[in-house]
Amino acid sequence: MTAPSPILVRRAILVGLIALWEILPRLQVVPELFLPALSKVLVVLASDWQVFGGALLVTLYEVGLAIVIACGLGITVGALVGGVASLRSLLLPVFSSLYAIPIVILYPLFTAWLGIGPQSKIVFAGLYGFFPVMLSTAAGVRVIDPQFLLAARSMGATLTQQVTRVIIPASLPTVFAGLRLGGALAIIGVVVAEMLTASAGIGYLVTLNRTILDSPRVYAAILAILLLSILYDVASRALERRVVVWQSTGRQSAPAARPVSTATPQATAA
Amino acid sequence: MAAVSMNGSARAPASDIALEVRGLSHVYEAGDRAVPALQDIDMSVRAGRFIVIVGPSGCGKTSLLMMMAGLRAHSAGTLLCQGRPIPTPDPTRVGVVFQEASLFPWLTTLDNIEFPLSLRGVPAEERRRRAEAMLSLVGLKGFGARYPHELSGGMKQRVSIARGLVQDPPVLLMDEPFAALDEQTRMTMGHELLRIWSTTSKTVVFITHSLTEAVYLADEVYVMSPRPGRIIDHIEITLPRPRTYEMMATDVFGRLRERIWQQIRHAQ
Repeated sequence: MTAPSPILVRRAILVGLIALWEILPRLQVVPELFLPALSKVLVVLASDWQVFGGALLVTLYEVGLAIVIACGLGITVGALVGGVASLRSLLLPVFSSLYAIPIVILYPLFTAWLGIGPQSKIVFAGLYGFFPVMLSTAAGVRVIDPQFLLAARSMGATLTQQVTRVIIPASLPTVFAGLRLGGALAIIGVVVAEMLTASAGIGYLVTLNRTILDSPRVYAAILAILLLSILYDVASRALERRVVVWQSTGRQSAPAARPVSTATPQATAA
Repeated sequence: MAAVSMNGSARAPASDIALEVRGLSHVYEAGDRAVPALQDIDMSVRAGRFIVIVGPSGCGKTSLLMMMAGLRAHSAGTLLCQGRPIPTPDPTRVGVVFQEASLFPWLTTLDNIEFPLSLRGVPAEERRRRAEAMLSLVGLKGFGARYPHELSGGMKQRVSIARGLVQDPPVLLMDEPFAALDEQTRMTMGHELLRIWSTTSKTVVFITHSLTEAVYLADEVYVMSPRPGRIIDHIEITLPRPRTYEMMATDVFGRLRERIWQQIRHAQ
């Protein structure tokens, strides 16, 4: 009589959607131009794998460099803005407002300055991903419990040791949340830029095939982008779990830890 | 201050004094005003004694403790630990245990205890050995691999005590270490602390709000006035050791507790 587990329901929904993707076009409930059957898309993806694979590599290269820019710059600026009070009051409001601007309107300028090659995409997507990384790093550094620093000082930590041994590990969870968002935005930035003005990349394939009404190829490109995003999310989550062990175990095993500790005789007094 | 004479035993030789506070005052700037926080504090703590400081909130007792730890400067007077001033924190001379569990959540219990040793570059093997020894001392053998969030409040404070003691400092300062615990755990931890203290023969300076805790733990209680904080009474706790829970029901215990309470009440 128990309800099915959420995981089971989620999987069922996913399978259902995939099945609908195949069945609806075959029954001609939706026109092929709008939604070609999944099998057709997969066939196109397989037969043109060199085209899609090549485009994906271009995109991957741009995304990779954009993430490096977003994270490198975001963490550096964020740590400065979060850690230095005068910089914080000076810059944080500015950055917060800039974050609200749809940066994509600047992309045409980037193409004018840097050309329609990879550079404009990398710089644009890097900037796009920079803001969440910077803002969450600043927040992560700012909200560190002062008690941690006091304790570290009482144990004789130098200023450098306070940074490397306390501030960095204490801010990691917040920084990682920003990295995940920043990376996702960098992917969006690259793909959108490729769709707007480009001569290569997976976003370019979407636009190109849409103009010639080749729906299966449009969907094949979308599927490739989807795959890229999912892979990034899985990879960044795995990395986060490895680096921020204490937080993820806190979320998952806090209730489970209890019976274990009470079962140990020496814990009785505490 | 007349109560100092209650410290009946013969004056100890200078080398036996763990902490010496003479004419210590502190004034801090709040905007353009100078606020006196501590005024003419005199304390002479013999080695191996268990000292408790009580006083109303905001009387500056935590500030005083932070100065003893070398974490805060004072305006005037002398503060000596074994005859030498404490300009900066030195965990080999003074260990500190804070109120909230100030353990680092990203480190395991053992790594937390080793933290002060690792700051000084003590080799890993020795660190582990000393941390394990501390863990057994505080009764948490086998919990070394746990993270702080997997421990109860009392266990966390045991780890904090272990961390404070790992460099074997002669003096241990404790800032309301059990204030966040429930009454039952608090009693148990007080008892545990006395056990640890008696096996390590440290000098302890312990701050609390709880008068019962003060009488139960202390050799001597210093009572502080509201701001600016002064020492208004110094009481020798004559109860025998080891202390037992039953002592709390005795007349002597009640009278000592009452005396501290009257001092605090009339100082308001």
